[in-house]
Amino acid sequence: MKYIPTIGIECHVQLRTKTKLFSEVDNDARGKEPNSCVSPVDYALPGMLPRLNGEAIRLAILAGRAMNCEINASSRFDRKHYFYPDSPKGYQITQFYHPIIGEGWVELPSGERVRIEHAHLEGDAGKLTHFDSYSLVDLNRVDTPLIEIVSMPDMHSAKDAHDYCKALWRLMCFAGVTYGDLYNGNMRFDVNVSIAPEGSKELGKRAEVKNLNSFRSVERAVEYEIKRQSKLLDAGEKVIQETRGWNDATGETTGQRSKEEAKDYRYMPEPDLPPINLSQEFIDAESAKLPMMPSNYRKKFAGIIADDTLEVLLDYPSLMSKLGEIDAKYAKNISNLFASVLLAEEKSAEYLNDLPTAAELSELAEMNDKKELSSTATKEVFLRLFDPQMKGRGVKNIAKELGLVQENDLGALEAIVDTVLAKPETKKAQDDFRAGEEKVIGFLVGQVMKESHGKANPSAVQEILRKKLK
Amino acid sequence: MKTANKTVTATRLVKDALEKAKHFEDYNIFTFINEEGALKKAAEIDAKIARGEKVGRLAGVPYALKDNFLSPEGETTASAHILEGFTSPVTATAVEKLEAEGAIMIGRTNMDAFAHGSSTESSYFGPTLNAYDKERVAGGSSGGSAVAVALDIVEFATGTDTGGSIRQPASFNGVYGLKPTYGCVSRYGVVAMASSTDCIGFFTKTPDDMSLLMSVASGQDPKDLTTLPDYYNDSEIKKAKKIGIIKDFYLKDSEIQKCLEHKCEELEKKGYEIVELEMPALKYALAAYYIIVPAEIASNLSRYDGVRYGFRSEKSDNLDDLYKNTRSEGFMPENKRRIMIGNFVLSSGFYDAYFLKAAKARTLIVKEYEEAFKKCDFILTPVAPNPAFKLGEKVNDPVSMYLEDVMSVPLNLAGVPGLAIPAGETSNGLPIGLQLVGPRRSDKSLIEFSKELM
Amino acid sequence: MEIKREDILHLSDLSDFSLSEEEIEKLGGDLEGIIKYISQLDELNTDNAEPTYQVFEMENVWREDEILPQDATREQLLALTKEEKDNQIKVPKVL
Repeated sequence: MKYIPTIGIECHVQLRTKTKLFSEVDNDARGKEPNSCVSPVDYALPGMLPRLNGEAIRLAILAGRAMNCEINASSRFDRKHYFYPDSPKGYQITQFYHPIIGEGWVELPSGERVRIEHAHLEGDAGKLTHFDSYSLVDLNRVDTPLIEIVSMPDMHSAKDAHDYCKALWRLMCFAGVTYGDLYNGNMRFDVNVSIAPEGSKELGKRAEVKNLNSFRSVERAVEYEIKRQSKLLDAGEKVIQETRGWNDATGETTGQRSKEEAKDYRYMPEPDLPPINLSQEFIDAESAKLPMMPSNYRKKFAGIIADDTLEVLLDYPSLMSKLGEIDAKYAKNISNLFASVLLAEEKSAEYLNDLPTAAELSELAEMNDKKELSSTATKEVFLRLFDPQMKGRGVKNIAKELGLVQENDLGALEAIVDTVLAKPETKKAQDDFRAGEEKVIGFLVGQVMKESHGKANPSAVQEILRKKLK
Repeated sequence: MKTANKTVTATRLVKDALEKAKHFEDYNIFTFINEEGALKKAAEIDAKIARGEKVGRLAGVPYALKDNFLSPEGETTASAHILEGFTSPVTATAVEKLEAEGAIMIGRTNMDAFAHGSSTESSYFGPTLNAYDKERVAGGSSGGSAVAVALDIVEFATGTDTGGSIRQPASFNGVYGLKPTYGCVSRYGVVAMASSTDCIGFFTKTPDDMSLLMSVASGQDPKDLTTLPDYYNDSEIKKAKKIGIIKDFYLKDSEIQKCLEHKCEELEKKGYEIVELEMPALKYALAAYYIIVPAEIASNLSRYDGVRYGFRSEKSDNLDDLYKNTRSEGFMPENKRRIMIGNFVLSSGFYDAYFLKAAKARTLIVKEYEEAFKKCDFILTPVAPNPAFKLGEKVNDPVSMYLEDVMSVPLNLAGVPGLAIPAGETSNGLPIGLQLVGPRRSDKSLIEFSKELM
Repeated sequence: MEIKREDILHLSDLSDFSLSEEEIEKLGGDLEGIIKYISQLDELNTDNAEPTYQVFEMENVWREDEILPQDATREQLLALTKEEKDNQIKVPKVL
């Protein structure tokens, strides 16, 4: 039988605030020792009270606007109770029922929209590492601010799911609300998959695959689930509603012992935090800080930057933002340098955080346009702009120091051409060219280039040669 | 209160207090005596005085700290087994403020474990005895603090009041006890019972002492987002004209009722107008309280699990056992009752009928107070329906124990201040306390007005 | 409302207790009495009332996003736990 899959995705995004959601300790624990980013509040000593980070509210507004969502003036935190060492307070503080971010939508490259049901602020949990006879608890991640984005079940293929996650990742990165470091779990996806016979009005029972942290694993997990569930239904069996884990090595999902059916979290209003009632002025002022989004850049650079180049660069907000600052007439040139030179570099990740200024890049593009730099020389100067020793010296100076500026002065070039034509070893080539052998012009240009120590503009040289050899 | 000076040293004051504490050991007031720490601090203050340096407003004043305030001096256990061994690296804001003014903690006082109770019988360390009659309870939950002040061991003691835990023991032991406006004093570093009603307050022997302590302790704290910007020190004293009494709180054939009526007559003679108030929703305050507060208790006590601090059960071979056995062995029966009631009213299927319903009732109670204070300046009521009762009398009957709080909890639900004042004695010599209730932020005027009832 | 043994066991589970038979018996009676008492709230008409969860006038209270020194260090915090290993809290295995 043919089945139609239906997919909804919940995505946890760690916000890039300096401090945690409820205490003033460092929120970026990457590469830091266990429990080194833990306050007495996070450790849940008796008598500790949450101290809300206003930046999380601001970033949530940006995240919401990036997804075309309503921002709710009134939102509230609740406590969601469960006992586990990753939750020192015994509850998670979450806006699940009264979220700051309301309905909205995310557009896929296909042009289709995935509706956002809501997105809410909440604190992340700590981490347990299990050993044979014991477990170790690290609370560094406790109450890292998260927004959980809940989509409507608007996706119907593994590709949709992949594209949605990637689109979401781009939106969150461009909005500047997260580091977007998937490897370190900055964004994690829970995917709900169900299938129903074609034409059926009711959705099937869904399985939720939790904690996926790459677009590829989202896509593979959905593919696997569709196959698994189809097989079950074909065999006349039932899909059970459950949480499943993903094994990236085997490419399979496995049922997790579900003691959790109908878990009762006993939600209760958080009495330690005053309510949030934002004024429209505040919401508008914060919303206005939303930077250009991928869709804005697509519009801006349509017909200027090649589509495939643009798609590559749209994974790098800092590059797009830089391109946005550069005069449109140079954008194509610089976008090519970004896509084919910068991103090919081993150290590109480092470079992305420390790009040359828009003025430097424009000057570089201008020199290339004016043929003062050959395209090879342009690439070379471009890379030198990232060299800490060359920084701030100016594009022209760097190009000159490297001896890469092309000679475009026709008088000077003519003199060099004359010198070369006067040399006996070029005599045969000149005769051959006059006899109609076109390709020897290359040899002659080469000789002129050599004479000019590579500084001559080859196309100008060719023009002069052709004139002189008529 | 007596502060230290060149002739009466802080060391002298502290030594006296320590001696008295020892003398009254059989009352079981203290869970920890801070002899070494207190004497060290006293010496520091004396040295300052000797050098002619400025000292604080509470210089060398010995005080008792309820055992649910975090400080590195002694274990902070909230008189609960599950916090045994917990020495806090953190100091409560209220303690910091008191000590910054030179007050010296000489001991931690006994309480009902986690402040769940109205008699201090539900302490892991056993009951504290009443200052007037050793056969009777101290009241609770801040029983140790009330008795420490009543027996004149210390000048003042701290308390917490979630539903009467300062006012009721104050009335049982004949001292002043204030539950301030919700949000007036920081809760940071005080073991939480029910966050939306918990208030930090004091026991004193005079209204002026109370006002001084409030002036020190009140104010906004960046570590407690539910604190109000300091209004206490800025507020003007409002002269009262009309005093309300609540018809619905009439106690038949009661010496407490007689005492109340007598005080009203005195006030009338002084030219005050007595206004009778009808506050029908208050009758339901206790039921609403015993829904909302257990819910917050169940939540706030989720963190006690033996993982990060305090007691951990020996029987903890796996994680599930560690949680279950630690919590089962570490909590008192009353803690368990309240946690289970809290989880009942929050559980799916019962939330709307209980928790939400109580939250709505709370709105009606808040409104009733607002209406009442349009008709009068302050309200005068009994603190509790009876004077101190016999040890063991109510401890096995939770509902009768809860009924102790019937007149005190409405204030906590409404967040308004209440001051328990010593108002007389019963025929068998037990103290009678009355409480003065004012609108939000009227704490200072309330304390001042209480002098009219001396 | 009658509180059955299974209700007590369910609440015990939500509370993460393991109760003895004696406690189950005693708590059953206690809880039934308490629930009976709090159920009298049914008599109060709350139809037109919005719920109140907090009793003070402030809203939108939050702090700046700046790292500040804390009231206790990692060493002080971890010193409070019964068992520590490699700067982490050690707990028995999860079944």
